[in-house]
Order: sequence, then C-alpha cells, then structure tokens
Amino acid sequence: MKKHLIIAFVILFNSILTAQTTQSGNEQTYLLTTKTNTIGFSILSLTDPYLSPLTYTGNGIQFEHESRRFLSVSNTRLSMQSKLNLEGGFLLNPAGTSGMTYLGVYYSWGMHYHFRPVKGLVLLAGGSVDAGFGYKDVPRNINNPGNVDLATNLNLSGIARYDIQLRRRTLKLQLAVETPLIGWMYVPLAGASYYEMFMLGNLSGISHFSSIVNKRGINPKLTIDVPLKSSVWRIGVGYQRLQYNANNMVFDRKEFSFLLGTTFDGIGFGGRLKKAPGNFISTNE
Amino acid sequence: MMKKYSLILLLTAVFLPSCMKEPVSQPNTHEGNFQSLWKIIDTRYCYLDYKHINWDSIYAVYHQKLPSATSEVKFFDLMGGMLNELKDGHVNLYSDFDVSRYWKWFQDYPSNFSSELIYTTRYLGKNYRIAGGLNYGKIDNGRIGYIYYGSFSDPFSDGNIANALNSFSTCHALIIDVRDNGGGSLEYSKQLASYFFKRDTVTGYIRHKTGDGHTDFSTPIEIVTPAHKTIQWQRPVAILTNRMSFSATNDFVNRMKQAPNAIIIGDKTGGGGGLPLSSELPNGWLVRFSSSPMFNADMQNTEFGISPDISVALTVADEANGIDTIIERAIVTLK
Repeated sequence: MKKHLIIAFVILFNSILTAQTTQSGNEQTYLLTTKTNTIGFSILSLTDPYLSPLTYTGNGIQFEHESRRFLSVSNTRLSMQSKLNLEGGFLLNPAGTSGMTYLGVYYSWGMHYHFRPVKGLVLLAGGSVDAGFGYKDVPRNINNPGNVDLATNLNLSGIARYDIQLRRRTLKLQLAVETPLIGWMYVPLAGASYYEMFMLGNLSGISHFSSIVNKRGINPKLTIDVPLKSSVWRIGVGYQRLQYNANNMVFDRKEFSFLLGTTFDGIGFGGRLKKAPGNFISTNE
Repeated sequence: MMKKYSLILLLTAVFLPSCMKEPVSQPNTHEGNFQSLWKIIDTRYCYLDYKHINWDSIYAVYHQKLPSATSEVKFFDLMGGMLNELKDGHVNLYSDFDVSRYWKWFQDYPSNFSSELIYTTRYLGKNYRIAGGLNYGKIDNGRIGYIYYGSFSDPFSDGNIANALNSFSTCHALIIDVRDNGGGSLEYSKQLASYFFKRDTVTGYIRHKTGDGHTDFSTPIEIVTPAHKTIQWQRPVAILTNRMSFSATNDFVNRMKQAPNAIIIGDKTGGGGGLPLSSELPNGWLVRFSSSPMFNADMQNTEFGISPDISVALTVADEANGIDTIIERAIVTLK
C-alpha cells in the first residue's frame, strides 16, 4: 500500500500521467500514457516540380515522439494518440550537381477504437488530424531557391498489434498505417516566383482542398517492441509514400526509414522487471 | 469482421503506393537533355509569343545538329546556341565547365559609361563616401548630390540612404547613376525608388505562365512602389542609364519613370523585363529563363528596355577630356 501511495504521489506531479482516476473496489486505478520516442535514419526521395523536374534523393534523420492513452478508465476501447515528428535531410539531384536541404515538422492527434478479436491481437481503427510544415532549400536555383510544404489532413488510421510469446518475454509486433482522406494544402503557383506571391500579394490559387482525388499517401510502419531488463526497445522500419497534385504540378515523396526507440508507460514502467501494477491501465496492453 | 479489417489494412498498405504514378523525366542522354531543355523553354519561357519566336522551327534546326555534338562541350555549345535564339540576357545554361550567355543586348551598343571618369576629381574624386552599396558625394561645386549604385545585389539600409541624403541637404538636386548596374534584388529596386514617391503608386504589372501554351498567362498583378514613410527626397533627381542597366535596374528605372521629380537621362536600358526562374536538365545542368513578364504602368513590356527622357551618349572627345557627357547633361538639366 505504501508503495502505491508513493507512486500515486509521483503521478500527481507528473504530467506524463493523466489526472483521471477512478475507484475500483478498494483500489484506485489510473490511466497511463504510453510514450514512445524513436529516432530514424531515412532514405529520402523528393520530387518538387516547383524547384526542379528532377527527383532528389538522399538521407535524413528523424525524431518522433508518440503518446497514447485511453480516454477514461471506464472505457478501454477508445484511446487517443498524439505524434510529433521532426525531420531533416540532405538530398542531391541525380547528377549530383545540386543539393537540397529538407526540414520538416509534423504533428498529429487522433483517436482509435480498440478491437480485441482474439487473445494477443489488438486492432485499432480510427482517424487523426495532422498539420505539417516542411521547407526545401535548393540554393543553386534562381528566384525559386526554396519551397514550403504546408498542409493539414484528416487521416484514416489503423493499427494491428500482435503479441508474440517467447519463453521469457512477450514481443509486440505492430503494423500501423495511415492515409490522408481530406484536408487543406498550400501549393505554390507553378510559374510564379515567391516574390510575386508574397511580396506582391498574388495569393490566388495557392490554397487547395485536398482529397484522395488529388492527394494520396500511405505510411505503413512495422515495428517490434522488445522488452529488456528495465526498458522496452522498439525497432522497426517505416515507409512513406505521398503524392499530391495541384497547379499543374505533381509532388512526390518516398521515404524508407529504419527506426529505433524506446517505449514506456508513465514514468518508468516497462520491461520484465518493472511492470506497472495492475491498477495502472495502459494502452500498451 | 476482424480478419476482413486486417486484410483491408494490409492491402491498403501494400497496394495504395502502387496506384501512384512514378515521376517521369527524360533519360540522361544528349537526346533526353535536348528534349528537356526544349520543353522547359517551350512551356515556361514567357516571351516566345511576344518575340515572335518559332520555337518548333528552332527545335528542327538544332535537333538535326545533335549527332554532331560528339563531346559534352560541343553539346553544351549546341544547347547554348539554341538558347541564344531567344536573345534574352536572362537566359543562361550553367554546367560545371561553362555558362552560356547572350550579351548582345549591351555588346552591340556603346557603353556610355566609364568608371574611371566618375572617380576623377571632377566628380566623386577619391574622398567619396560609401554607405552600403552606394558610393556618394557632392559634385558641381557642391550643388548636386551624386550617388553611384553599381549593383542591386549590394544591400543598403534606410540609414545608409538617410545619411547620404542628409549630406546633400544643401544640394538643389540629386543624380543617381545606375549605369553598368546589371540588376539584383527587386526589393532593393522598390526600396530605392520609394524615397522619391509622395504617395503609393502603381508603377507596373507582372504576369506569370499558367499553362504550357505560349499565351497562357495569369491576369496582371499590380506592382506598387510605396512612398517611404520617413525618408523623402522631393527635389529634382536624375537617373543615369545605359544599356547595361538591366533586370532589377530596368525595374528601378521603370519605377522612377513615375516618380514626380525624376528624369531619366542617358541611353535606353538593356531591358531584362522578365523575372527569371530556373530549372534543371537530367544531366544536372541548370537553365535560367525569363518566366514572368513585367510591364510598365501602361501595360507595355519592358523586356527590350526603357527609353530615357533625354537621350545622351558619352562622346569620345568628352571622355578623352575627362568629362562624362551624361553627368554633364544631367547637371545642366537639373539647373
């Protein structure tokens, strides 16, 4: 009991944990937030016709912070998830005569319904809203040395998670997929300079409604969570393909990533030896 | 139900990317690069129609020469030659070993400028001041302020201008010499012009290509030259020009044509009224081309230059005697 009190005290002063609690019999239950931090090494391929008709390829690094928790202790069917992704990359044109620097930031918030069809398998279905900003810089270009990616989307999202029981530990294999349905995006005018658009104020035609008609994308991510002594490590691979067109230009993005990170509940539950007590409810069930 | 959902998830992940088209580009061969360059100009260059250029004919002429381009240098020269048919100083091809260029817009004309002359004791002398990109001093026995601005790529600030104009407080007029100024930033052009306007004035228009057709253009967008809020020169000002006053300098002269106390003296500017953008060929060469035509306040193209209000040439005799004919004419005019 003393141990529980200490833990509860820590929880109260730690924003990682939700303040939402409930009485269940004699025991208080708490919602844990499952946090995952991953870094990734990416192989990137970007086609931005505003900057060049050529496809630039190169490498990038990314950091992603993901958190998830159930909406309430009484409803362990609905969870909410937020993701923050930061990415940077350097790419070259096919001949290697021109470089592109890419910087991007992406945030999404979504909700999922949890299905548990069989023991060890959890399926999450839901959606998310996101906002992304990216900047591509091609310093060799003249009067069009950079372009901005700016968009917000409503996405369809699904996750399948399967527990692989080993002798001493349980691995969690997860496939997460997201695809944009509708949204808004900024696309520059094909033949116009940023001088005309932003210094002279010709902003007509840069704002576009997006749907699966003019924007298609998919970003499957296959990961496996491996519990070690006092932590859970996530390794995986991710793929992203995004294609959208507006103003007579087709933009394309391909990315293949190797991911490595850690996932934990609350302030340090994880692994085989540091499991959360039973009255802490985690989405990482 | 769950199996169905899993299957949909998996199929979506696997098959949706395959529904997307791969970006297409020409192969990195002489033929592919030729086709790319020709198409970039055909679809994005803004003066094909205005200059009555038959780009299809030019394709035929140069495409048949392609087999003779047996080296990269010969191929580059062939491509550069094709671009020179556009007779545009804003069109260049950049490779690792050369930059193609069309310079006849000033080489076929008298220079009408000698930098040696303006730094003689008759004009700026040796003790002129430098503020940002501006070289300035008093001439004509202190009666006229003189600023030489050699590049619109050289930055200057309000403080630079304020100091220069303050030093001319006893002068009754000002000369801004933009001869041999090949251009630079349109923002500096706007900023420099703003000191000579009493109110915001529409001084031109710009359009851009909206499609692949040679006449596919957007509706004109106004280019406004704002009146500077705190720094104003409301006495007479003469702008000195020659053929090498090009691009952003052409834009500056076009703005100053509308300034209330300004007069343009010298030779016709070199033009360069098309705002250039750039693109790339499969072999990595960069091509710069005029993309957005700019117009004066009467919606007339400024690509071929802007005529001065007073046309004056630098004479050989004056130059030999250390006299800049154009500055002298400005001094007389401003009196």
